[in-house]
Amino acid sequence: MSRQNWYPQANLARREMLRGGAALGAVGALSACTAGKVASAGPAPRRPYLTPMRVTPDQLIDMKCCIRPVRAAGPNLGTQMIGDTLVVHNYGHGGSGWSLSWGSAEVAVGKALSVLPSEIAVVGCGIIGLTTAVVAQRAGLKVTIYTRDVIQRTRSFRAHGSFTPDSRVALSAPAGAGFGDLWEQMTRLSWKGFRSMLGLPGDPVVFQDAYALSDAPPVKKHHDADPAIKGAWEAGGLPLQDSEWAHYMDRIKDLVPDPVMLPTAENPFPVAYTRRSSEMHFNFPSYAHHLLTEFYQRGGLMVMRDFNDPSQYGQLKEKVVINATGYAARDLWRDKTVFPVRGQTGWLVPQHDAPYSLRYKNASLMAKNDGIVVMNNPIDLGEMFGVGDSMELPDPAPILEVMKIVEPIMAGMKGIA
Amino acid sequence: MAGLKWVLAGALTLAAVPVNAGTANGVYTEAQAAEGAAVFAERCAMCHGKQAEGTWEVPALKGKFMANWGRETVAALSDYLARAMPQFAPGTLEPKDNGRLVAYLLKINGHPAGAKPLPEDHAALTAIRIDPLAAAAVK
Repeated sequence: MSRQNWYPQANLARREMLRGGAALGAVGALSACTAGKVASAGPAPRRPYLTPMRVTPDQLIDMKCCIRPVRAAGPNLGTQMIGDTLVVHNYGHGGSGWSLSWGSAEVAVGKALSVLPSEIAVVGCGIIGLTTAVVAQRAGLKVTIYTRDVIQRTRSFRAHGSFTPDSRVALSAPAGAGFGDLWEQMTRLSWKGFRSMLGLPGDPVVFQDAYALSDAPPVKKHHDADPAIKGAWEAGGLPLQDSEWAHYMDRIKDLVPDPVMLPTAENPFPVAYTRRSSEMHFNFPSYAHHLLTEFYQRGGLMVMRDFNDPSQYGQLKEKVVINATGYAARDLWRDKTVFPVRGQTGWLVPQHDAPYSLRYKNASLMAKNDGIVVMNNPIDLGEMFGVGDSMELPDPAPILEVMKIVEPIMAGMKGIA
Repeated sequence: MAGLKWVLAGALTLAAVPVNAGTANGVYTEAQAAEGAAVFAERCAMCHGKQAEGTWEVPALKGKFMANWGRETVAALSDYLARAMPQFAPGTLEPKDNGRLVAYLLKINGHPAGAKPLPEDHAALTAIRIDPLAAAAVK
């Protein structure tokens, strides 16, 4: 559905304006509503005043590294019996765990509910496990989480934490056509889940402006296959090139705001081309606090323990267990279809006067409550960067390298025009 | 005393219409469910979604649906559909379509089809309980 169709009155008003037939004030308001994607519409061009981010090496206060748990066919939401225990899987969300958390929880809890349990167990307390536990409680179930770590010490807390629901979520061939529908269902539900958390104390979920900077006109990224690369993922379970990854964002175009090219007069950055878009992200400390608070207020129990064999699920007193163990499922459930894609982030001192995100060359910076998160994502490698790499120790060198690239950008920023 | 009478009356009612058949035993036919799918596509999918997946606001007719309706009778579900659905025009489902929809809903929630169609007789529907799924049947 195109956005214009949502506002038939506005289209009518615009036509009347073209005929010179409507009151100016009303038309101004309505046409601003539909024409919002053109930055130059409305008042005179104005360069937004943005505070430069401090990107000197001394500002780097933390490094985090984590492994995205990718499955070629997409997340495992299947079921299996361990003795008389029903296990519903909910793991393997690649780089989309945060983004799909509410929708994926809904699917897993729905399956658990079909045997009418009064209590269930959730194994794992990353973003998938904890969200699943809360969703199950909201459906009326008594929930015990069994986990070796609480969310703050899990891989979820070492993620980037922005709304990227199709980031390394599956490879298109093994996922098949059907996964797109399920992905869309989970994504739309998650979107509503995040919407319900906007504006809560501590800003667990935030929208902010994101700027993509370039020296040459930006070009739409294509994912064409390189004919020189023979074969595909089947051989070793790993994708061999960028074109094998699945992309579904076109399915939710109606939700996600469009990017806008800034006219020179409105461009605060010392580069020729700046595109502004809106991004949504998650502030881990506050988000975790909200979910844990709800979990405990609803009477949830947390039992600290580790598992090393699936048979142990059958020994739990709960006869329905949702398995939300992320990358750990590769070993625990001997699921060798899970492959690692390494990612790492550097964290700069939080700067609340600079609430925006920025991408330039391989550098990506995003201001969050708990710091400005820096990534070095080589553009040429796309989704292939980190594939097969399970080294989970951080390496500051690539982060410092992109901070150096961004330093002159920050030094050259312009104030109000 | 009044309480005892009530219990006795309840026992007599149960004896008259024994709740002994559950949906685990195959209480509808595939043909009925297929007809129900067509009714669903026309009358229900616009709100509940093509796959009955629901939205944040509209209930899914799978998953939590079972928690809401499990252990109720098929008659209760059928009556509800007849009374309250579709929400924009309640009471407009043809009785035959209503039965087909119930069959379709049972099917998409994992209850097996059987040789006999769902009865049209209300008392017979009252005798059919919506069973929880067997754990091994959850897909």
